[in-house]
Amino acid sequence: MNFFKNAPENGKGIQDHYSAMAPFLIRMSIMFSFLLGASLIGYSFKALQLQETNIAIVYLLAVLLTARYTGGYLFGFWVSLFAAFIFNFLFMEPYYTFSVNTPNYIITFTIMAITAFITSTLTTHAKQNALRAREREEEAKALYSLTNRLTDAADIPEIADIAASAVCEMLNCRVGCVCFDESGKPDEAFSRQFSPKNGTPEEAASQKSFFDWLISGRDSTLGVIRIPMDDAKRMTPTQTRLLQGMIENTALAMDRFHASEQRRKTNEAIVQERYRGNLLQAISHDLRTPLTGIMGTAEMLLTMTGKDDNRYDLIKEIYGDADWLHSLVENILSLTRLHEGKLVLHKQEEAGEEVIGAAVHHVLHLHPEHDIWVTAPEELLLIPMDAKLIRQVLINLLDNAIKHTKPEQEIQVSLKKENSGNFAVFSVCDHGEGIDASDISNIFQMFYTSASRRNDVKLGVGLGLTICEAIVKAHGGEIKARNRENGPGAEFIFTLPLKENFHESK
Amino acid sequence: MNLNNRKILIVEDDKQIRNFISYSLDQEGFAYVTSGAGQGALSILLSDQIDIMLLDLGLPDLDGMEVIKKVREWSELPIIVVSARDQDKEKAAALDLGADDYLTKPFSATELLARIRVALRHLNQHNGPDKAQNHLQAGDLQIDFEKRLVYLENQEVHVTPMEYSLLTLFFKNMGKVLTTRQILTEIWGIHYGNDTQALRALMAGLRRKIEKNPAKPRYIITEIGVGYRLVDE
Repeated sequence: MNFFKNAPENGKGIQDHYSAMAPFLIRMSIMFSFLLGASLIGYSFKALQLQETNIAIVYLLAVLLTARYTGGYLFGFWVSLFAAFIFNFLFMEPYYTFSVNTPNYIITFTIMAITAFITSTLTTHAKQNALRAREREEEAKALYSLTNRLTDAADIPEIADIAASAVCEMLNCRVGCVCFDESGKPDEAFSRQFSPKNGTPEEAASQKSFFDWLISGRDSTLGVIRIPMDDAKRMTPTQTRLLQGMIENTALAMDRFHASEQRRKTNEAIVQERYRGNLLQAISHDLRTPLTGIMGTAEMLLTMTGKDDNRYDLIKEIYGDADWLHSLVENILSLTRLHEGKLVLHKQEEAGEEVIGAAVHHVLHLHPEHDIWVTAPEELLLIPMDAKLIRQVLINLLDNAIKHTKPEQEIQVSLKKENSGNFAVFSVCDHGEGIDASDISNIFQMFYTSASRRNDVKLGVGLGLTICEAIVKAHGGEIKARNRENGPGAEFIFTLPLKENFHESK
Repeated sequence: MNLNNRKILIVEDDKQIRNFISYSLDQEGFAYVTSGAGQGALSILLSDQIDIMLLDLGLPDLDGMEVIKKVREWSELPIIVVSARDQDKEKAAALDLGADDYLTKPFSATELLARIRVALRHLNQHNGPDKAQNHLQAGDLQIDFEKRLVYLENQEVHVTPMEYSLLTLFFKNMGKVLTTRQILTEIWGIHYGNDTQALRALMAGLRRKIEKNPAKPRYIITEIGVGYRLVDE
C-alpha cells in the first residue's frame, strides 16, 4: 500500500505557509512599531522618574508582542537584539551611545538580551504549535466530513463522486477518480472528474501527465485517484497526509459496499435455492397421494379382472408405471433433503446383518421371482450407522441388480469386517449384464443414465445410485462399482467406518 | 375365516385410499365404516360397535397420537396405524402409545389383509374362551409353554431363559410388530428402555439358533426403526 513512492518532495512546510501570508515588509514594520512604542513609553517613564528596570520590562513586552505577531525564530532573534541595543542607546548611561559605564548595565543588558531571546523563541514555538493544532483540526474535520458523506453513499459511483470532490476541494485542482470493477479492471462507467471552481477551460485541455494514487482495498485495488502532475508536485506534506487519509476512507467505504453487495447476493442465492428445494419437495409430496391412489385402484382392478382378460396386462402396466413414478418421487425427496443438509444422520450401533435382512426382505417381497443370497460374519457385527439410510442404500443397490439380471441369475449380498478392523465392507453383486466400461466412472452421478442401455428396459432417472453415494459418504465411507472379476455381472462395494471418528479419507 | 360380524373403522382423510381400503375389506366380507377425521372417528367409536380401527397418522384435525391416547383410555381395540414413508418416529411412538401394528403408504391389499388377520386372531384369542394355549407354531418353529421347550423342525433347540422369554413374547404376539422399547420393557424391565445393544446381541444369538441364515431370517424379521416381528405365514 505504498502509494507515496513517487510523491513530490517539499520541505518548507509551515514556514512556507507563513511566507505566503505575511510578507517581509509587513513584519519589519510590525517590529519597528513595537520597538518605537516601547521607546516612547520608556521616555514617558523617564519623565516620570521611574526606574530603568521598568523600561527594560517594557522592551521585553515589545519583544514578546513582536514575536507573537511576526513569528519565526529569526525575527525573534533580531528583535531581541535590537531591543537590547536600543535600550542601551536610549536609556543606559552614557545616553545615546552603545557603550556601558557600569558593570550593572552590562549585566542588565546581557540578561535582557537573553530573556528577550527566550521569550521570542517560546512565543514563536507556542504560535507554531497553535497553528499546527489548528491545521490538524482542519484535517480531522475534513476527514470526518468525508467519512460522514461516505457512509451515506448508496453506491460506488457516489463514493467516487464524494471522494473526488473532497480531494478537489482540498487541493483546489482537477481530480479524477476511476473505479475498478470486481475483476480489478478499470470500469469506465465509474470514473468521475472534478474541477476546481476557478479553473479555466484551457487548463482542462492542456494537462498531459498525471499522478495516480491507488485506492487499495483489503483484497484488491478498488480504484485510482488521479491528479495533474503539476498540482501533485505542489502538494505539501500536510496535504499529502490528508490525501492519504481521504483515500484510506474511500477504500474503506468501497470495501464495505462490496462486502454488503456480496452478502446480499449470497442471501439471494440462498433464498432462491431454498425456494427451489421447497418447490421440488412440495411437488413431490403432493404427487405421493395420487400415486398411492392410482396404485391402490389399479390393484383393485387387477383383482376384479381375470388373468385371461386382455385388460389384465394393461392394468398391470398402469400399476407398474405408478410404482416407478412413486420410486422416483421418493428418490427426489430423499435427494433434496440430502442436498439441503436436512437429512440428519441418526447414528446408532446397529447390527449389520439386521439391516441387510430388512433390505433383502423388502426387495424379495416386491420381486419374489428373484433370489438373493446373503453372507454375514458368524460373530455379530455392530456398526455405527443410520439404519434406515443404509437399508435404503442396500435396497437401491439390490433394485439396481434386479434391473440388470434375470430371475434365475443369482444376486449376492455380503458383509464382512475389513482386515484392519476399521471398516465394515458391504458388497452387492449380480451375475447379470455387468456395467459398461464407459459408465463405470460416471455411474454415481446424478441423473446419469447409460447411453448403451437397451431401449425396451425402463430407465431409472439415475438417482438411486447418487443417493447411495451421498448416504455412504455422509457416514464417512466409500462406495465403488466395478465388474466382477470371475465372470459376468457387476459388483458394488461400500464401506462404513466402525469407529465413530474414523473417516475414509485419501 | 371366522368373521363373527367384525366391523372395521377406517379413519383416512384421502378419499382414494379410503375407497381402496373399503373395497378390499368388502371383498373379504368385512363390515366397515369410514371417517375422514379424528373427531368423527372418536364419536363413531363411542356410538358404534367397532372391532378394529385403521388410523391414518396424517389426519387434518386431530393428531393421530391424540386419538390413540384417547381411545386407549377406555378401549383395548386393535389399532393399526397408517403412515407415510417418512413418518418413522411417529410410527414407533404410536406403537408405544398403544397401537398394535402399522402399514406404510403405499401398501397393497395383501399387506392390509395380513395385518387385519393378525389383529383379528389376537382379538379372538382375547375374547374367545379363555383356553390357555400350551402349544404355538409358526412354520417349522414350535414352542411348548408347558414343558418350556422350543422345537425347530421337530428337533429340540436349546435356548437360554432370556431367549425363551423373548420367543414367548413373540409367539404370544404372533404376526404383530413389537417395538424395541416394548421388548426391552418386557424382558429386561421398565428401566432398560434404551439399551438396544443388549437386545441386538440377544436377537443375534437367538437367530443363530433358529434361522438357517441369520442374515436372511424367516421367522423373526427386523422392522428398521420400529422393532421386530415374528412372521407366521
